[in-house]
Amino acid sequence: MSITAFKSIARYVVSIFVIGVFIFPIAWFALTSIKPISAVFNKDRVVVFDFKPTFENYKVTVLGAFKSDTQSNSTVLMGTSGKGAYDGRGAIMSSLIIAICSTFLATTISLLAAYALSRLSFRGAQGYMHWILSQRFLPPIAIIIPLVFIFRDLGLRDTHLGIIIAHTLINIPIALLILKSFFDDVPIEVDQAAMIDGATRFQCFYMVVLPMIKGGVAATAVLCFIFSWTEFLLSLFLTNSIRTVPVKITTFVTSTGSEWGYISALGTAAIIPGFIFILLVQNHLVRGLTMGAIKD
Amino acid sequence: MSKRALLPRWLTSEHPLPWLFPVTSLLIVFGLYPVLYSLWLSFYKRNPATRKEKFMPSWNWEKLISDERVWDAVQITFTYALLALAIQLILGLSIALLLDTDKKGFGVLRALMTLPLVVPPAVTGMMFLLMYDSSFGVISNSLYALNLLSPTAPILGTGSTALLGVIIADVWQWTPFMVLIMLAGLRALPKEPFEAASIDGATGFQSFIFLTLPMMSKIIALAVLIRGIDLFRIYDYVKVMTDSGPGTATETLTAYAGTVYFKSANFPYASTVALATLILVLVTASIFIKVFKVRF
Repeated sequence: MSITAFKSIARYVVSIFVIGVFIFPIAWFALTSIKPISAVFNKDRVVVFDFKPTFENYKVTVLGAFKSDTQSNSTVLMGTSGKGAYDGRGAIMSSLIIAICSTFLATTISLLAAYALSRLSFRGAQGYMHWILSQRFLPPIAIIIPLVFIFRDLGLRDTHLGIIIAHTLINIPIALLILKSFFDDVPIEVDQAAMIDGATRFQCFYMVVLPMIKGGVAATAVLCFIFSWTEFLLSLFLTNSIRTVPVKITTFVTSTGSEWGYISALGTAAIIPGFIFILLVQNHLVRGLTMGAIKD
Repeated sequence: MSKRALLPRWLTSEHPLPWLFPVTSLLIVFGLYPVLYSLWLSFYKRNPATRKEKFMPSWNWEKLISDERVWDAVQITFTYALLALAIQLILGLSIALLLDTDKKGFGVLRALMTLPLVVPPAVTGMMFLLMYDSSFGVISNSLYALNLLSPTAPILGTGSTALLGVIIADVWQWTPFMVLIMLAGLRALPKEPFEAASIDGATGFQSFIFLTLPMMSKIIALAVLIRGIDLFRIYDYVKVMTDSGPGTATETLTAYAGTVYFKSANFPYASTVALATLILVLVTASIFIKVFKVRF
């Protein structure tokens, strides 16, 4: 065998191994979600494949069956047994509402600002960009405590609208910077031509330039959605009864033990939308992650 | 052009004001105002017995300086951030070099590599908690088998290994971020210098050190900046995996602010610690941006 062929095979083997290492935790989690409770908590050995698959965990967390209905003959007692304590349906709904609304809000208003920053030259534009960028670097913890008070006074605490605003706030800097980089890609002559034909600035934005960056807007929206869907700290501080999925999952860890079956079922379900979305925007991913600094 | 103006110019789409108004007002009300509120809050001393607050501007800040837990937290934050960053950078660059080829199948591998990015960090914490579990965790049990770990010293329950345990989760989730950015950087490199170097007899390693790294320095700096800032405000993994424990072995500055908020309800002091995080992030980021001339 020649050296080049060997190198080529070695590269495949090493690459697949590396990817395998990175996929393993997800695969293990997904596998745990279909294991019966006796296989998850086996103290003598780690059960890998030799178990009878069960979908009980999904029935409880995603379809809302009662824990007692599915575990009546289980000998393991732990966790809370309150009605619906492991029902993730409400959390999934809340997460969806919050992610969709905050994505829409952040993308829409960032589009306007990004267009102005890309097309209208005005004094202080550079300073404004820096302010936006510094917002991206702001640790959420620095605003969370006052936000709790402000939200309480405005009646926004523990409401969907409250978290929608909070997520929009965090998403704006990212969305704005990415969208500006997409607007910057469109030659300014396009605007000039449209305006010579009598279009106003807004018509020029809405009817000419916006359709040209559709792909970029979609990629931005996907990143905003993923951020909102996975966000933890703001949702944790700003809510008590409304729970987003990541916060809900952490409530399955109790002082009497962690319900790994339910945790892994709801966790696996929570990963799926992100998987689908990220595969759709592979082309613009790097630009999104670097807030437009690297164009691919 | 002769259309009579119905509105003052600053209300038309020719002026940046209407474009920037929604983003700016939202950022001021829910971004800037809370930071100022935080600052104002930090000037009050809270009496835990009466729950009354008294205006004493330097009280919390003096307490912050003399609070050993703060300095421990700063040290842990830096250890966490620098260690995670170094590992992610080295791994990210190596894996990018490995995957940077047009050979069949590597496109799929690159796409699979992005999957950890969309897992909610709270769920990532759970995945690793499950694998670390001292009785049935797959990682713990593998380490027992290799005699690298003793069941009497669980990974997250032991002061000396807990931080590393959390860092591994962070590395798993965010190395793909580095891989993607480095891949974009590698793809954008011009071919000619490498051809010239190989004609002159340079080895692959030499052209990596003397060509690839210098030409990638801007992108590496950018990736380090974005990732570094996120690492400084780390919260989710610590909260979910160790809740700052054992003792305070994994208490980062953000986690400490959270602990003060949740456990002692001393909001003025919690705000002060949170602002310290903000100051730390801003100072470190500004120095970094100046030194490495990062541009967005």
